[in-house]
Amino acid sequence: MAAIATRRWLRFRCKLCLTLAGQRAGPCGQTPSCRFYSGSATVPKVEGANITGIEEVAIPKKKTWDKVAVLQALASTVNRDITAAPYAFQDDPYLIPTSSVESRSFLLAKKSGENAAKFIINSHPKYFQKDIAEPHIPCLMPEYFEPQIEDISEAALRERIKLKKVKASVDMFDQLLQAGTTVSLETSNSLLDLLCYYGDKEPSSDYHFQKSEKSEELEEAAEENDEKSKKADHQFGVTWRAKNNAERIFALMPEKNSHSYCTMIRGMVKHRAPVQALNLYTELLNNRLRADVYTFNALIEATALSVNENMEDKWNNILELLKQMAAQKVKPNLQTFNTILKCLRRFHAFGRLPALQTFREMKAIGIEPSLATYHYIIQLFYHHENPSKGSSLIIYDIMNELTGQKFSPKDPDDDMFFQSAMRACSFLRDLELAYQVHGLLNTGDNWKFIGPDHRRNFYYSRFFSLLCLMEQIDVTLKWYKDLIPSVFFPHSQTLIDLLQALDVANRLEMIPQIWKDSKEYGHISRNDLKEEVLMLMARDQHPPELQVAFADCAADIKSTYESQDARQIAPEWPANCLNYIAVLFLRAGRTQEAWKMLGLFKKHNKIPGNELLNEFMDSAKASSSPAQAIEIVKLASAFSLPVCEGLTQRVMADFAISQEQKEALGNLTSLTSDSDSDSDSNEGK
Amino acid sequence: MLTLLLLWSPTIIIKSKREEFELENFKNTQKQCFESLFYYFALYFSFFFFSLMLLSRTKNNAQRYFGTNNVIYSKKDEQSAPTPEISKETESQESVKENTKKDLLGIIKSMKIELSTVNVQTTRPSSRRQLKSVEATIGRLQKAPEGVPKKRTKSLNPELVAAASAVADFLPFDKQTTKSELLRQLQQHEEVSKAQKDGERAKISVSTIISDMKVAKSATSRVSTRPVHQIQFDEGTDNYMGQKTDDLKKSLRKNMLKGKRLNIFDLKAVTEEAPETETAPSLWEVEFAKQLAAVNEQPLQNGFAEMIQWTKDGKLWEFPINNEAGFDDDGSEFHEHVFLDKHLKDFPKQGPIRHFMELVTCGLSKNPYLSVKQKIEHIEWFRNYFNEKQDILKESGIQFN
Repeated sequence: MAAIATRRWLRFRCKLCLTLAGQRAGPCGQTPSCRFYSGSATVPKVEGANITGIEEVAIPKKKTWDKVAVLQALASTVNRDITAAPYAFQDDPYLIPTSSVESRSFLLAKKSGENAAKFIINSHPKYFQKDIAEPHIPCLMPEYFEPQIEDISEAALRERIKLKKVKASVDMFDQLLQAGTTVSLETSNSLLDLLCYYGDKEPSSDYHFQKSEKSEELEEAAEENDEKSKKADHQFGVTWRAKNNAERIFALMPEKNSHSYCTMIRGMVKHRAPVQALNLYTELLNNRLRADVYTFNALIEATALSVNENMEDKWNNILELLKQMAAQKVKPNLQTFNTILKCLRRFHAFGRLPALQTFREMKAIGIEPSLATYHYIIQLFYHHENPSKGSSLIIYDIMNELTGQKFSPKDPDDDMFFQSAMRACSFLRDLELAYQVHGLLNTGDNWKFIGPDHRRNFYYSRFFSLLCLMEQIDVTLKWYKDLIPSVFFPHSQTLIDLLQALDVANRLEMIPQIWKDSKEYGHISRNDLKEEVLMLMARDQHPPELQVAFADCAADIKSTYESQDARQIAPEWPANCLNYIAVLFLRAGRTQEAWKMLGLFKKHNKIPGNELLNEFMDSAKASSSPAQAIEIVKLASAFSLPVCEGLTQRVMADFAISQEQKEALGNLTSLTSDSDSDSDSNEGK
Repeated sequence: MLTLLLLWSPTIIIKSKREEFELENFKNTQKQCFESLFYYFALYFSFFFFSLMLLSRTKNNAQRYFGTNNVIYSKKDEQSAPTPEISKETESQESVKENTKKDLLGIIKSMKIELSTVNVQTTRPSSRRQLKSVEATIGRLQKAPEGVPKKRTKSLNPELVAAASAVADFLPFDKQTTKSELLRQLQQHEEVSKAQKDGERAKISVSTIISDMKVAKSATSRVSTRPVHQIQFDEGTDNYMGQKTDDLKKSLRKNMLKGKRLNIFDLKAVTEEAPETETAPSLWEVEFAKQLAAVNEQPLQNGFAEMIQWTKDGKLWEFPINNEAGFDDDGSEFHEHVFLDKHLKDFPKQGPIRHFMELVTCGLSKNPYLSVKQKIEHIEWFRNYFNEKQDILKESGIQFN
C-alpha cells in the first residue's frame, strides 16, 4: 500500500515539475528534476513500510476552488467583536440599534427601503434603462413582470404562468378555449400548479421579507397555542373555495394525468380543504393513477386536519396511507416522516408512542432525520409537560445522537430545533445539557439554524437565564460579556435574573454597571427592573465607597422618573422606589437630596417606610440637628404613622431640644394618637 | 532589356521587400549595417532599371506599375518618412519592428540565401501570365491593408511572418502567394481574436482604438462580463451527516431507537434505485427550494461575508483565486490552452513545416482570446492547407505525413 502511495506521490511530483518546466525546458531538462524528487520521495516509503497504520494520503490531481474561496478564507479570520453590535447593525453611529426593539426596526427599515426601491424600479422600468454599471450588473436592472406576448396563444399562456400572473393566465386559458384551441396537457398542468400553489389568488408581491415576517408572527402564535394558529392560518392563508378556477379548469381538462390530480390534492391541502383532497384522492385511485410522494405527504396532513375524528382514527388513517404508499411502491422521503411527526404534535400525550415508532421506522429504512424531526419530537415530549409529573429524558438521547454533527437545510422547520432544545433544557434545569446544545450550535455552520431574530433572542435568553440560575457568578459574567450585546440584546427579565444571581453570589458591587447596561439596552421604563436594582442596593449596609456608587446609581434612576415627567404623563413613583432612593442618599451622606426625596413623598402622596424614617432620625442625630429630627416627626404625623410616637420619644431622649420644640412635639403626638384608628385603616390598605 | 526587366522585376520586388523588413529590423537593432548597404544597393539597381525603362518608353502597364511602385518604395525609404499610401512593404516593416529574435532570422536568412538561386532558376521560365497572377496578389495585398488600421498587421507575430516567408521559400512556384496565404491566415486569426477581444466590450462606445491601447482595462472588463462560474464546492464541505463513529452512536441509542417500529416500509424497497424521470421542476419544487434556502439565512457576520454576497449577486468583480480568474472557456483547463503540441502529431517531426507549426502553436498558446476549439481549428486549417499543397511539397522534396 505504501509503495502505491509513493508511486502516486512520485507521479504527482513529476507532473508538478513537468508543469513548471514545461514552458522553459525541453524534455531532457526534466529528467534530472524528476530524479531529484524521486530521491526525496523514497524517504517516506521506508517509513511507510514500517508503520502499517498510516492512512493513505490521497493528493488530488487538481483542487477546484470556489470563486469566493479567497473571500471565504478571509471571512473565516474575522471573529465576532464582543464589544460591538453585530455587523448587520453597523451603520451611522446614531442609527446603531441598542435594544432589541430598535434592532428589529433597523432591519425592517433597511429592508423596506430596498423593497421600496425595487418596487419603484420594477413598476417603472422605462425610467431605469440607463446601464450605469460597467460591466453590466443584471441584478441592478429592472425586472420585467409584464407579459411580452400579446396575441392569444399557448406561448402567451405559458409566459403568463411563468410570470405568476394568476388572473391573466386564467383569462388566457379561457380565451384559448373559446377560440377552440386545445391547451396541451403540460401547459394546463403548470397552470394548475400555479392556481393550486397560490390558491387561485394573485401571489402577494414577491417581496419575500414581508411575507416571512408575517408567517413568523404566525409561528410565534403557533407556539403559544395550536388551536389559535389554526385560526390565524385561516385568516392569513387563502382558503380553498369550492368551484374556484382551479377546480373549473381541472374539470374542463379533456385528459388528466396523475400530475393534474396530485397538484390539485396538494393545493387543496395547502389551502385547508382536507375533505376535498381526500375525496380527490379516491377519484385518482378510481382512475387507476398513482400519487407521488409529495401528494401522500399532503394527504397525511389532510388526514390529521380532518375535524370530526378522534386521535386514534386519525392515526389509523395515517397508517393506512403509509400502507398504500408501500403497496404502490412510493418511496417515502424525509418530508413524509416530518409531516407525520408534525401532525402527531397535535395529539399531545397520545402521539408519543406513534412518534417514536415513526422515528424508528425512518431510521430503519435509512432516512436521515433532519433538525426539524427532532424539533417535532422535543415539542411533543416537552410542550405540554408540567414539572410535577416527572419528565421524559428523550432529549438526552437526541443530544447524544446529534453532538458533533453538521447540518444542512432539509426541512423548512429546521431552524426551530435549537429554540425548542433550549426550551427543554431550561425546563429540565439542566445546565450540562444546555452547554451540549450550545456546543452543537457552534459546530460548523450550525449557528445558521438558529432562525430569525426573535428565535435567537429566545434561545439566548433561555440559555442565559439558565446560566444565571445554575452557573458560578464569574462564569456567568464571562458569558454576559461575551453574549451581550454582540449576540443579543437582553430582555429585562434576563437582567433581573442576572441581578438575582449577583445577589446570591454576594457581588452587589456590579449592580451600578448592570444598571448602566440595561439603560443602554432600552430598559429605562421597566419598573420591575428598576425596583429590583434599588431593592438590592438599599437592602443592606455597605462600605462607604460602594454606598457612594450606589447613591450615584440611585440618582440616575431617580432622573429616569423625572425626565419622563416632562415627556409624558407622570409615571407612578412606586413608594418602594422612593424609600430605596432616599435611603441610598442618606447612606451616602447626600442628606440634602434625601430631604428632597421626603418632599416627593408628600407630593406623590406616598407613605415613607418606618425604616426610612428611623434612618433619617439617625442621620439627624449624626449631624446633631434637632430641627431636622422634629421635621421628621412632623412628616410622620402628617401621614399619621404609628411610628410617630417612637420617633418622638427618640427625639426627646437623643436631642437637646428647646421648650418650644418640645411643645410642638407634644402637639404632634397627641394628633397622631387621635388619628390612630385612621392610620390603622390606612396601613391595612 | 525589356525582357530582362520583366524577368527581374518580381524578384527584385520580392527581394527588396524581404530586405526592407529585414533592414528595418536590423536598423532597429543597430547590428548589421552591411545589410542596409546591400539593401540600398538593391534599391539603387531597381531605380536604375526604372529609369532605363522610362527611357525606352514602353506602354507596358505591368512594367509601369512595378516601376512606379519601385519608385515609391525607393523614395519613401530614402526619405524614411511614412506616406499616406502605405503599402504592404512598409507595414511588414512595422510588423517586424518589435522583432528581437536574431537567431530566428539568422535561420531564415540562411534558408533564403540557399534557396534564392533555386528560386531564380525556377522563376526564369515562368510566363507573363504567372507574373500577372503574382502582380494581382501583390496588388491585393497592397490594397487590403490600406483599408484597415495598421495595428492589425503590426500585432501579427513577427516570428510567424518570418517563419511564413521561410516556408514560402520552400515552395518553388508561387512563393509570394504561399507566403501571403500563410500570412493572411495568420492575420485572419489575429482578426478573429481581436474581434473576440473587442466583442467582450461591445457595448462600450469609446472609440475602439483608444480602448485597444488600454490593455489592462479591457482585460478587467472582459473578466467581469464573463458568465458566472458554476459554483464548485470544496470536497470537504458536503460530508455533513457524515458517517460518524457508528459504534458510539449505537451504544447510546437505547431509548429512542430500540423498540417497535411501524414496520410498513421495507428497507430494500426504499433504498433500491428507481429510474428517475427528468422533468422540469414544478412550481411546488421551486418554491420548496426557496423555502429551504431561507432556513439558514442569517444576517451577515462581517465585511467579507458581505463581499461574498455581492459576488454571488454579481455586483462585485470576482476575487481572483488562481491564474485562470475570469477565464471561462466551456470549462477547458489551462493546459489545453497552453500545451498544443499534441495536436501536431500528424505534422512532420522535423523540417520547416514542423518549425512553422511549432511557432504557430507557440503563438496560439499565448493567445488568451481564442477558445481551445478555435485554436485546434486553426491548427487544422494548416493541416488541410499543407495537405492541399501535397504535390508541391513532394516536388520540392519535403515530406508531409
